[in-house]
Amino acid sequence: MSKVKPFRLTMAAVALLIPLALAAIVFFLARYSWQAIGFNGLRFLWTINWNLGNLYGNTVMRHGYEVPPGANYGILAFIVGTLFSSFLAILFAVPVSVGAAMFLSEKAPARMRPWLTMLVELVAVVPSVVFGLWGIFVLVPLIANWISPAITAVLGFMPFFNMNNSTGSGYGLLAASIVLALMITPIITTTLYDALNQVPRELRESAYALGATHFEVVANTMLPTARVTLIGGIVLALGRALGETMAVLMVSGGALNYLPGTIFTPISTMAAFILSQLDSALQDPSNMAVKSLAEIALVLFVITVLVNAVARLLVRRTINARNA
Amino acid sequence: MRSDSKLRRSVLLGAGAAALVAGLGVGVASAAQTVTLTETGSSLLYPLFNIWVPHFEKAHPGIRVTTQSTGSGTGIAQAIKGLVQIGASDAYMSNGQLKQNPGILNIPLAISAQSINYNLPGLNGHHLVFSGPVLAGIYSGTITNWDAPAIAKLNPGVKLPNHKIIPVHRTDGSGDTFIFSQYLSFSTPAWNSKVGYGTSVSWPAVQGGLGAQGNPGMVEALKGNKYSIAYVGVSFAKQIDAAHLGTAKLVNRAGKAVLPTAKTVSAAAAALGDKTPTDERISLIFAPGANSYPIINYEYAIVNKKQANKATADAVKTLLTWASNEGNAEQYLKQVHFKALPKKIRELSAKQIAQIQG
Repeated sequence: MSKVKPFRLTMAAVALLIPLALAAIVFFLARYSWQAIGFNGLRFLWTINWNLGNLYGNTVMRHGYEVPPGANYGILAFIVGTLFSSFLAILFAVPVSVGAAMFLSEKAPARMRPWLTMLVELVAVVPSVVFGLWGIFVLVPLIANWISPAITAVLGFMPFFNMNNSTGSGYGLLAASIVLALMITPIITTTLYDALNQVPRELRESAYALGATHFEVVANTMLPTARVTLIGGIVLALGRALGETMAVLMVSGGALNYLPGTIFTPISTMAAFILSQLDSALQDPSNMAVKSLAEIALVLFVITVLVNAVARLLVRRTINARNA
Repeated sequence: MRSDSKLRRSVLLGAGAAALVAGLGVGVASAAQTVTLTETGSSLLYPLFNIWVPHFEKAHPGIRVTTQSTGSGTGIAQAIKGLVQIGASDAYMSNGQLKQNPGILNIPLAISAQSINYNLPGLNGHHLVFSGPVLAGIYSGTITNWDAPAIAKLNPGVKLPNHKIIPVHRTDGSGDTFIFSQYLSFSTPAWNSKVGYGTSVSWPAVQGGLGAQGNPGMVEALKGNKYSIAYVGVSFAKQIDAAHLGTAKLVNRAGKAVLPTAKTVSAAAAALGDKTPTDERISLIFAPGANSYPIINYEYAIVNKKQANKATADAVKTLLTWASNEGNAEQYLKQVHFKALPKKIRELSAKQIAQIQG
């Protein structure tokens, strides 16, 4: 009698579900957006004019596809908005996270440590819509009245940092980046904190024995050891930032048909734009609008995978460099 | 042997769970004596439905209504797919959509309007005058300053500030964008050919323009930005007043500047009421008549003629008949600043409602 192995089979089936679900999503997106890919061609990626066309007119045939008159789909502005806001968020979040993780693992009083760690982790579970609300009522006015004038006063000689070239309303690239930075700081902090805690005791004791100060031990011995984990944490955070929808939608100012000229200019990100356009796209009798939104999702997916791959390559190179 | 008994245990567990689920299902089925209708869609109609439902359910104990605010496009799509019985929409369905879904009815439930509001320090108490072409100029970036000659000409004697205008538009798909862009399209040929109208339009890139989410986002953007201008659904009039924002007079087809009041909205509805076709899909924007307010619209229920069964069909008919008659009483509508449907429109609606079957 052959042995039935229900445990192993069940686990295998459950484990398979995850890659299967991923494959199903990619397959669906590609299949659903197939016509849009054909209609839009490569213009999709490097033009900035997005127009659903006249949804109340009779559809016309263009390039062999049925579309509303005047329809044109170009997403360069959303790609730029997504990448700019995410990379700025990483730029803001990494120094804060490294500082916080170092404080937690080295300088925080032992009795306080579990509480402080819990507080940091709590930030990670705040729903994104709450961040969005906080953004609208606290951050955006703060940027409009204080942060923008301050940045303009110091860096205003560069057009990109001059608020007079934008609405000055507070909604825009900077607001989106700061909200994103807040959302990803706990991810980077906790991964780095765990890595710092796992640095071998011998290593730091040897460093002390060589006469290093506390700061030198942390900066020169512990951080390099945790570097790979730090990059991993940043990649994870970047993935979150690229795909964040609600909070960004609420504070980004919803730009359409132009690229950000300053750090204060309104932007749109790909994820946020899909959400904000879906309702109107549903009214397109030719369905090309919804299919083009699916194509945005596909492009977003590809960008996320690319960013991940590059980061993994970085990690591998770091490891190799150290082993060499 | 051991793994066999484990297997048996898990099978038993599974069977138990299945029985439990089946039991629950039966429980739900036997409790379902009443018909439940689902309404989803327009965020502008949503507050009115919430005012209606308790009164309707009290009068009709056999019917329960759940409401949801998801957006007009979603309301139309879900009603077509049969996911909900009633889709709420500020915009009527296009010819193209109707051609694909010939069994769908567009039934007006009430009349809504839209105000143009602004935050202009010192002038919020003053009703500034705007025309369609001037608003089109502001929203396409050809009129950029508050003291531009085109605005000054409409407002003689008013000291307008020399400051950049911040035009605010909706980023989400919206019936408010639909009726606002229709006003611009019907009054300004250049806007009509370049941008046109829809629940989302391809807003021209205006230096200093701003996007906002939903009517609450529009009010918030007005409050937060001096020198901004925005279009807001009239059911938000209370919030506009509370924030001491300005409300504009709009130039109508007859060339007169009018405020959105009960009188001007009713005048516009009366002017186009006779033109309403039997399927009731018509724009009420830029109506003729000296007293007509130019931005008003029917709020629609989007309903499939063919419902799942007779009980559901009867319940839908009861609800729609109640909403467009008893529901049009002043006590309900005044809370959201909507206006009642004219008698003739209610008669057209009754004929459409009669087509709904199980």
